[in-house]
Amino acid sequence: MDFTISTYAWIIPLFPFVSFLILLVLGRQMKGIASTISIFAMLLATVSALLLLGETLKNEAQSYTSSVFNWLDIGDFSISFGYEVNNVNVLMLVIVTVVSLLVNVFSKGYMADDERMTVFYSYISLFTFSMLMLVISDNILQLYIFWELVGLCSFLLIGFWYQKKEAKAAAKKAFIVTRIGDIGLFIAVILLFWYMPEHMLSFTAIHNAFETNAHGFSDGMVTLVALLIFVGAVGKSGQFPLHTWLPDAMEGPTPISALIHAATMVAAGVFLVAKTYDIFLASETALLIVGTVGAFTALFAALIAIAQNDIKRILAYSTVSQLGYMMLALGLGTMAAYSAAMLHLFTHAFFKALLFLGAGSIIYALHHEQNILKMGGIGKSMKVTTWTFAIGTLALAGIFPLSGFWSKDAILAQAYEHQPVFFAAALIGVFLTAFYMSRLFFLVFTGDNRSGHTPKESPWVMTLPLIILAVLAVCAGWVAIPGIGTFNEWLVGETMEEKIHWSILIISNVVALLGIGLGYKMFRNKTASSLHEQSGNGLQTVLARKFYIDELYDLIVVKPVRGLGAFLQLWDEFIVGGLVKGSITTTRQIGKMGMRLQSGQMQVYALISVIGMLILLLIFAGRRLI
Amino acid sequence: MDTRLFAADLLDMLPELTLFIAIIIISLLDLFWPKNASKKGIGVLTLIALIVSAGFLIYQRIHLDGVISLLNDSYLVYHYGILFKLIVLLGVSLIVMMSFGAIRDKDIPHIGEYYVLLMPAALGAMIMASSADIITLFIGLELLSISSYILVALRKHHTKSNEAAFKYIVLGSIASAFILYGMSFLYGMGGSTNLFQIGATLQSLESSFHPMIYVSFFLLLVGFGFKLAAAPFHTWAPEVYSAAPTPVVSFLAVISKAAMLIFMFMFLPVYFVPLDPVQNLTIYSDVVLTLHVVAAISMIVGNIVALMQKNVKRLLAFSSIANAGYFLVVLSTDRPGELVYYLVAYLLMTIGIFAVVTALENSAEHQDISIFSGLYFTAPVTAVMTVILLLSLAGIPLTMGFLGKFFILLGVIQVKTYWLAAIMIVSSVISFYYYFRIIRLMFMRSHSEHTTIKVPVTTMIVIAICVVATIFFAFFPQYMLSFIEWT
Repeated sequence: MDFTISTYAWIIPLFPFVSFLILLVLGRQMKGIASTISIFAMLLATVSALLLLGETLKNEAQSYTSSVFNWLDIGDFSISFGYEVNNVNVLMLVIVTVVSLLVNVFSKGYMADDERMTVFYSYISLFTFSMLMLVISDNILQLYIFWELVGLCSFLLIGFWYQKKEAKAAAKKAFIVTRIGDIGLFIAVILLFWYMPEHMLSFTAIHNAFETNAHGFSDGMVTLVALLIFVGAVGKSGQFPLHTWLPDAMEGPTPISALIHAATMVAAGVFLVAKTYDIFLASETALLIVGTVGAFTALFAALIAIAQNDIKRILAYSTVSQLGYMMLALGLGTMAAYSAAMLHLFTHAFFKALLFLGAGSIIYALHHEQNILKMGGIGKSMKVTTWTFAIGTLALAGIFPLSGFWSKDAILAQAYEHQPVFFAAALIGVFLTAFYMSRLFFLVFTGDNRSGHTPKESPWVMTLPLIILAVLAVCAGWVAIPGIGTFNEWLVGETMEEKIHWSILIISNVVALLGIGLGYKMFRNKTASSLHEQSGNGLQTVLARKFYIDELYDLIVVKPVRGLGAFLQLWDEFIVGGLVKGSITTTRQIGKMGMRLQSGQMQVYALISVIGMLILLLIFAGRRLI
Repeated sequence: MDTRLFAADLLDMLPELTLFIAIIIISLLDLFWPKNASKKGIGVLTLIALIVSAGFLIYQRIHLDGVISLLNDSYLVYHYGILFKLIVLLGVSLIVMMSFGAIRDKDIPHIGEYYVLLMPAALGAMIMASSADIITLFIGLELLSISSYILVALRKHHTKSNEAAFKYIVLGSIASAFILYGMSFLYGMGGSTNLFQIGATLQSLESSFHPMIYVSFFLLLVGFGFKLAAAPFHTWAPEVYSAAPTPVVSFLAVISKAAMLIFMFMFLPVYFVPLDPVQNLTIYSDVVLTLHVVAAISMIVGNIVALMQKNVKRLLAFSSIANAGYFLVVLSTDRPGELVYYLVAYLLMTIGIFAVVTALENSAEHQDISIFSGLYFTAPVTAVMTVILLLSLAGIPLTMGFLGKFFILLGVIQVKTYWLAAIMIVSSVISFYYYFRIIRLMFMRSHSEHTTIKVPVTTMIVIAICVVATIFFAFFPQYMLSFIEWT
């Protein structure tokens, strides 16, 4: 066989792993060198991933799978540790390495004052290693293992500032809530193991078995397995109703939010569904549920985002909403929609990382102020941050010709062809997205400075990643300009008939512009006092007349929408949160009962044993004998 | 069948004889040990005796050909018996090593006796692993139990410890009485003390005997559940665990459990008594169902009550109750290979974590869970190793604990007992909460007490062995599985 990079793809994750080991040994010494090691390792990984991408672009060969060693051999089945290189995996490799590299660079500035910088970089390296391993896993059990490992890293990084009570609570919540999803995935793995022919767990085997219908599953079982996998994806990708951990996870350092909770780990859920898509294709019900949950989450999270004031929480809800778009697309069940979802994953990774890092740059300049009502007027002093943030905002809103436009349009077009209801939801989502983003943008960058700090542009280590990401946020979508279809073809490996829906292209842009326009009208050039009035002081009639249109808008559109947003947040807090609390209380009650039995009196102990025996005897022997 | 014992047969009993002779010699040596000299020498001798005995076992294993039976099956040399004995010796050796740094003169006045007593306890467990006769099984059990009563009571000047030891003796005796009572039923119906013969006779009994067969099982279950610390027979465990010296606690948690598992492993086949030939129903299926229910109760009670604990050793007591549940599950699916794998996994993570606890509680002089606070900042290497042990206990991938539970789950799903699988999964999710509480303490709380934590070298070695093995056999389970299955 010729020399190909594909056969050496397993080296890519090793770079961050080696960096992790070095940093672990370093401990807390040598703060200066820690970032250099980590950045250098990521640079090597990124270059290798890009070389690999170059090769897959040239090559006709679709995929390369290799088992590194047999992990388990029991009886007649074996599970191996291996890796797989196909176009979907390579796409993910590129996303993860590029974003991770830029976040590594950005953190050098953002975390400069932190005493535990080495620890921070070692966690980031460990995370990147696990994420890359997850991406190139060739079987679902191995994927599950690294799935857990990225969850663990996420837990460590959310709680990085453990002195903060909220951070600790958020870390715990993130871990527990995503575990619920993980259990679903785990059960799915076990079921697959038992029912797959010859207990094969590799993605290739799953693909072959379900494509040719040569699997041992009944229809109900297929749906069950697909839904269990989806439960795992719901947990990781913050879909309703397991989304609650993601906004809380914003307690972690902002570069982490950009890397883990926007670009890579949370997309793992979408990736998982994509990897096992053949199982979903075999079950109409599962597809419908995936799509419905996605569509609902996309709308629901966008509504909540409108009612938020914390810049990172807005972005977090926006992430939840955008992941909803991807799930919606996957739920459509066509290969074109599948590639639309992956395209959105690809573009979203860049512009959302850009927005988060931009937010990080602002927060850094304002000494950790995160409330957008207390920002304002930053545009004058932080030019690079402002312009790049503007690009990110437009990309997220889906304005032509930025990357978000192409991917969102691909999803809209597919939804329009197959599920008009999803199309409607997605279109409303576009409007809401544009609106909350323009609200965020104008409150932060225009108007008076309400922060009490004089913001200064961040150092170049922080602005450089912003600029690179901004370029990517503009261009990343051009790989898939409709009609040319290179992306679809490359990803799925077959040419697809594609209609260009000019009307949808135009409508989605108009809707997005409407959203931005409304935001502009309402939130442009706010001063501290005007913000105050808007929150309910109706005495100053002159100003009131001036904002007559605004108020009308406010009454007709914004108030109900914001009200709904607030309501949904209450729902989140009380119903979903209440359920969680309820189960905790039940657990505690059982625990207390168990404790009460522990009275310290020996006679009681003996009595419990004897009574236990008698009950068991009566139940199990009694039913046979009576 | 030859019921006489020849001199040549003694060769087959070399592992046990080694320990037996060592007990006599070392306990005599202890009497004449110089007053001022460190008693660690006795510990070292004990360790040597254990290793020699293990060496003989490995020799036996290599040359094993079929089953060697002496004295009408009261002494058996067979595949799984040898494996169990090796596990017992491995566990006790690790505990002896852990004790070098952990047992202090002010806690236990007679350290020499402590080391010597570990050997008869191990010998008792070994006898249980090599016997299919109820008399020898009971003798082995009592040898193990009585030695452990004394071990628990060794902290003479500690009131709490004395109280716990007293309770342990009384409740343990009650449990033994139940076992003996159950055995007497079996003897009465089977007309023999040999388990194979009892099994054969019970099958041919008419149905009017069935109630008594049931009664015998439930009587045995009480004693078995007690020593295994399975709910609802677990009540002694938290108190004894928190009051006894920590190495002794790890002995109770690991060796006693292993011995009870081999005990039940021998007894369960007796209950293949047909109830209804048409439906293919046997008493055994009820036995399995009962074991499942007890397993479920143990997992639920153990994992939930552990949430409420502030004392580390009580917390680990409930964790071991939950683990008793996992063991019962794998016991009922009749897969000795998986049982051995999980037993080794459990041995490594439990002894490892108790070794950490000994070092921490000796530095802090208390057992509150806060001894873990900020461990990452005072002793980073120990902290990272502790994390691995805790992850294994919680069943997170890339550890033996995960694979062990994974095998158990596969077994449960294969026999289609989905409700039990569900309880196992849910309860182990609950367990994440308290294991992660410890991890959070280590990483996310700055140390309130500025004491430096000194981990003795021997303790460190024990922890390192446990951690390395936990990870190694997770990556290469093949080596262990093929050794287990090797014939």
